[in-house]
Amino acid sequence: MVYTIFYGLTIGAILYFISIGLSLTFGTMRVINFAHTITYTIGVYVLITLVNFFKWPFPLGAILAILAVIPVGYIIERFIIRRLYGESLDYTFIATFAVALIGVDAIKWIWGARPYPISDPIGKYLMFWGLSLPIYRILIVMIAILLFFALNIFFKKTIVGKIVVAALEDKDGVRCLGINVDKYFSIVFILGSALAALGGVLYAPMSSVHPYMGLSVLLLCFAVVIVGGMGNLNGTFLSAFALGMVMSLTARYWPQGAETMVFIVMAIVLIFRPIDI
Amino acid sequence: MDDIKELNLDEDKASSNKPVELPAELRNTRIKEHGAIDFLAIAAFFLLITPLLSVHRVTDFMIFCIFAMSFDLLYGYMGRLSFGQMLYLGTGAYGCGLFIKYIGGNPLLAILIGIAFAGLLAMLLGLIIVRTTGACFALINLAFNQIGFFLVLSPLRNITRGEDGFGISASKLGFLNFGSRPIMFAFVLLSLLVVFYLLRRLTSSPYGIMIRSIKEDETRVRFLGYNTFLYKWLTFVLAGSIAGFAGSLNALNYNYVNPNAMDVHSNVGVVFACLIGGAGYLYGAIVGGVIYMVISNFLPIYIYRWEMFLGFSLLIIVFRFRMGVWGYIQRFWEYLIRSKIVPRFMKKEGI
Repeated sequence: MVYTIFYGLTIGAILYFISIGLSLTFGTMRVINFAHTITYTIGVYVLITLVNFFKWPFPLGAILAILAVIPVGYIIERFIIRRLYGESLDYTFIATFAVALIGVDAIKWIWGARPYPISDPIGKYLMFWGLSLPIYRILIVMIAILLFFALNIFFKKTIVGKIVVAALEDKDGVRCLGINVDKYFSIVFILGSALAALGGVLYAPMSSVHPYMGLSVLLLCFAVVIVGGMGNLNGTFLSAFALGMVMSLTARYWPQGAETMVFIVMAIVLIFRPIDI
Repeated sequence: MDDIKELNLDEDKASSNKPVELPAELRNTRIKEHGAIDFLAIAAFFLLITPLLSVHRVTDFMIFCIFAMSFDLLYGYMGRLSFGQMLYLGTGAYGCGLFIKYIGGNPLLAILIGIAFAGLLAMLLGLIIVRTTGACFALINLAFNQIGFFLVLSPLRNITRGEDGFGISASKLGFLNFGSRPIMFAFVLLSLLVVFYLLRRLTSSPYGIMIRSIKEDETRVRFLGYNTFLYKWLTFVLAGSIAGFAGSLNALNYNYVNPNAMDVHSNVGVVFACLIGGAGYLYGAIVGGVIYMVISNFLPIYIYRWEMFLGFSLLIIVFRFRMGVWGYIQRFWEYLIRSKIVPRFMKKEGI
C-alpha cells in the first residue's frame, strides 16, 4: 500500500509539471495548447540523444534538454499562438493540434518511430522500515514540491509573476495600464514549455520513449487542468496529486484501467461543475 | 465570413414561415438548390469518379462522407467541435459486427442495431457532454473516445477479440448481397443520399435555425425561452446515430471490425475534412470528405511525410482559408448572381 501511495505521488508530480504550462496558457491566453505534446516530446528526445548516444551524464543532459525546448516554445508562441489571441477556441484547438501533428512527424523523421529505452539514472534505493523506495522517485516528488513553492513565490513576489496573475484575472485591465501583455504571455508560454520538458525528462526513465508519448500524457494533463480549474495554480497542484493517486490506486486493483479512471473522475467533475469556456 | 452566415440564415428564413423579400431570380435559384438536382449531382459525381478509382474505394469515400456530414451537423451547424466523433463510428461498427457475429446475419437488422448502439451511447453520454461548450466539449469527447477505445481493446477483449478484431460475413437478403461490390456501392450511395436529404430538411427547418442560433449565441437563445439543452442533446444524438450508421456501413464494407474503427488519432481526419470542405455546408462535408480521402489514400504513395502535410494544411486552413472549398464556391456563385441582378435592380429603382 505504501508503494501504491508513493507511486501515486510520483505520477502526480509528473502530471503537475506538465499541467502547469497548460493551465497557465489557458488561463492567460485562452488557448487550449495541444502543442504542449511537442515541447514535452522534444525535450525527452534531446535527452535521449545526449544520454544514450553521446554518453553525457543524466543531469547535464536533462538541463540541456530543458534549455533546448525554450527556442521551440518561442517559435510556437511567436508564429502560431500569438496569431490566435481572441480567436474562437475551436480554431486554437485545431491549429495547436496541427502543430502537434507536424512535430510528431518531424520527430519520426529525425529519430525514427521505434521506442528507445532509458535507464533510471540513480538506480539506488532508500531503505527504511523494511521498505525500499527508489531515490529517483523521491527526488521527483521533492522537485515537484519545491517547484510548487518556487512558483508561488514567483507569482506572488516578482513583478513578472504579479503581472501574469493580474492578466489571469483581467487581461484587458492589465493592458489598459500600459503593460505589453503579449510579452509576458510569451514568457509564461516558454516557462510552461520548459516545465513540460522537465516533466518529460523526469518521466522518461519510467516510461517508454516513442513519438506519440506526448498525446496520451497530454490527455491526462487536460483532465488535471479541468479538475483543478483552468488557470488555477493551487488547484492544478492538488488535482495533479489527487489524480495521480487515483491512477495508482486503480492500477493496484485493475492495472489496465488506470488511465480510464482519470477520465471517469473528470466526467464526474464536469457533471457537478460544468465549465463554461 | 459573416455575410455568408447571414445569407445562410436568410436561406433558412425563406424556407420557414417568415417571408423574406427576395427578387424573383434569387428565389428561383434557391428552389433549384433544394430540388432533385442536388441528388442527381451527388450521384453523378460519385458515379463519375468510380471509373477513375475503384468501386471499393469510392464506397469507402462515400461512407466517410456520411461520417463527415454527421460531424458537420455538430461542428458546422451547432458550433460544437468534437474530437471524439470516432467513438460513435466505432460503436456503430462494433454494434453491427457483434450482431452479425453472435446473433444473426441479417445485414439490415445489423445496421439498425449499429445505429441503435451508437444512438443510445450518444443519448447517455450526451447528457454529460452537451452541458459543456468550446474546448471542454472537445476534450471530454476525446476523453470518452479514449475510454471507449480502451474498453474495446482490453476489458471487453473476450467479446471484441481485442486488438485483432474479428471478421464478419453478412447473409444474403434476396438481391441485397453485401458481399458484391456493386450492390454495396449502390446501397451506400443510396444511404448517402438519404442522409443528405434528411440533414438538408433538418437544417433548413426551424430546428436548423435553432441549432445555428445556438452556434451564434446560446445565451440569447436561452433568454428567448428555448430549452437549448434539449436541442443540443437532440443534435448530439442525431450526429452520433449518423456516425453509427457510417460505422455499420464501414463494418459491412470491410467485413471486418477492429479497434482502429475507434482510434482517437483518426479524429483529426474528419475535422480536416469538414474544415477544408467548409464547415456549415452539407456539400462542404461531401467535398471535404472526398478531398481528405483522396489525400489519405493517394498522398502517402508520393509523400512519405503525409501527417506533416496534413498539419501544415490545417494551419493554412485555420489562418487563411476558413470558409473552405465550398464556402468559396458558394461566395463565387452568389457573386455571379448578384452581379447580374444588382445593376438591373438599380435601373428599376431609378438610382
